[in-house]
Amino acid sequence: MSAEAPAAEATPRGRRTRSRIDLTTPGLLGLPVACLLVFFLCPIAIVGAYSVDALHGPSLFGEAHKLTLAGWHALFHDGVYLRLFWKSVKTSLIVSVIVVALAYPVAYYLALSGTKRKYVLLLVLIAPFLTSYLLRVLAWKVILGNRGVLNTFLFWTGVRSPDHPLSQLLYSRFAVILVLAYIWIPFVALPIFVSLDSLDRRLLEAAGDLGASRWQAFVRVTLPLSMPGVVAAFLFVFIPTVGEFVTPSLVGGTSGYLYGNQIADLFSTGYPDWQTGSVLALFLLGVVALLTIALTRFLRLGEAAAR
Amino acid sequence: MDAALSKNGRRALRVLFGSLVVFLYAPIAILLIFSFNDSQLPSFPLSGFTLRWYHQFLTNPDLRGALETSALIAACSSVAAVALGVLASLALVRRRFGGKGALSALLLSPLVIPYVVFGISLLLFFHAVGIPRSIVTVVIGHVVISLPYTILVIVPRLSQIDATLEEAAADLGASRLQTFRWIVLPLIMPAVVSALLIAFTTSFDEYAVASFVVGTRVTFPIYLYGALRFPSRLPQVIAVAVVVMIVSLVVVVGAEIGRRAAERRLGAAET
Repeated sequence: MSAEAPAAEATPRGRRTRSRIDLTTPGLLGLPVACLLVFFLCPIAIVGAYSVDALHGPSLFGEAHKLTLAGWHALFHDGVYLRLFWKSVKTSLIVSVIVVALAYPVAYYLALSGTKRKYVLLLVLIAPFLTSYLLRVLAWKVILGNRGVLNTFLFWTGVRSPDHPLSQLLYSRFAVILVLAYIWIPFVALPIFVSLDSLDRRLLEAAGDLGASRWQAFVRVTLPLSMPGVVAAFLFVFIPTVGEFVTPSLVGGTSGYLYGNQIADLFSTGYPDWQTGSVLALFLLGVVALLTIALTRFLRLGEAAAR
Repeated sequence: MDAALSKNGRRALRVLFGSLVVFLYAPIAILLIFSFNDSQLPSFPLSGFTLRWYHQFLTNPDLRGALETSALIAACSSVAAVALGVLASLALVRRRFGGKGALSALLLSPLVIPYVVFGISLLLFFHAVGIPRSIVTVVIGHVVISLPYTILVIVPRLSQIDATLEEAAADLGASRLQTFRWIVLPLIMPAVVSALLIAFTTSFDEYAVASFVVGTRVTFPIYLYGALRFPSRLPQVIAVAVVVMIVSLVVVVGAEIGRRAAERRLGAAET
């Protein structure tokens, strides 16, 4: 609360005008903003420095290096990284679409069916998200393995023989998509629910009175009005997933290896290459930032149009 | 006639909701079952009831050390993030100043950075300025990623509170600090508690960023990640998974119910 102290002192002096309130604003914002400048923006700037080899040695104040764009050149001319990036984008798109498509009808049911216990049911839906992420990945690792719960259950019940397990389950791109969708569904239900719950139901009644069928009312009224929630949900799944490396490294095997794994590996102890890693990380950050800006613009326009 | 759903539509959606809940909880239930299964490998058929795995994890010093480290990091980073979040929210809701849009974008921007990018950024940053990796570096990383969540929780609550209450307190001679302590803080307390809880669970569970900046004292997720590669440790990891999941479920659901009750009470007091 130290930032409040100057505010308290400022009161007697500035009592005359209302603008005295503004005097305290730097006091309130100073610490949070400084924290993000030093530990968020500054580190990203340092990644930028590494990506052009401006920093190389053990310390910030070592000797100066010649700048080089070799890392960026490698990214755009050696197709390996871009192909991997595209694979990550496709995987994230698949995950985001599956998740939104499953969460939307459920959120719709909770928000608009008029059930009295909608908040309780919503909590039931969201609660798994609040348990550990790694442990939910672990659960699928236990379930999907060749000698895992699912396969041994099939052997036990005689559906499959132990010589022919369902072997493509774990360590595949399928496993990555399944686990990521599992992880994100509860999270995504929330923004969609909020946008549907705030919908004025009289609009639907009006649409009905004017002769629209339920389906027409949904397509022309409900869906457009809930788009901000859908876009927010999409963004909140797509962004972490496109850089995801934990789930792929646990359940992806080689075919589930993604762009995020490549970045993490370039910084691991094996064969570190900080310059290339920094280039890949900045490229990912740039794409994500552009996408975020574009979609938030879209949301603002949507809100303006709704008014 | 219901404008939103036909009878059949409602039935179909109810079935979908039910199957989704089963899909979400079945893996957790399976972990629960196999944590009591008397076999080194989690596989069918079940081979008898045991509490061996729970006993093993209780007596595993590495695992307990990792849990303690994570609890310490989560406690420090959540308190710091909420303190910063309250300050930032007060400024964003109650103050007028230029560049508010840009500042709130900055404050929320850690929400949309892929964790792998933030992790390596911090790694390079600490390396460049010569700070050795330790518990402190993990705390710093976690404060940054939880700060936007705390703001997102506190701002809506703060903007519900009638500003005239604060003006009345000031008119009655309260200093700004007193107004905050006796008027604002009690009114936003439910949101502060939720923010603390969210920041704590975020930190306690966080692997991606921590994996780049952790020192020699490993956190629980990092221990867990390592243990997943050794099949012999799997059963006790499943046991601890069950305990952690159940504790977090109970705490979160309990806190949510408490927050609802508190907000209802405060809401009644305001009107």
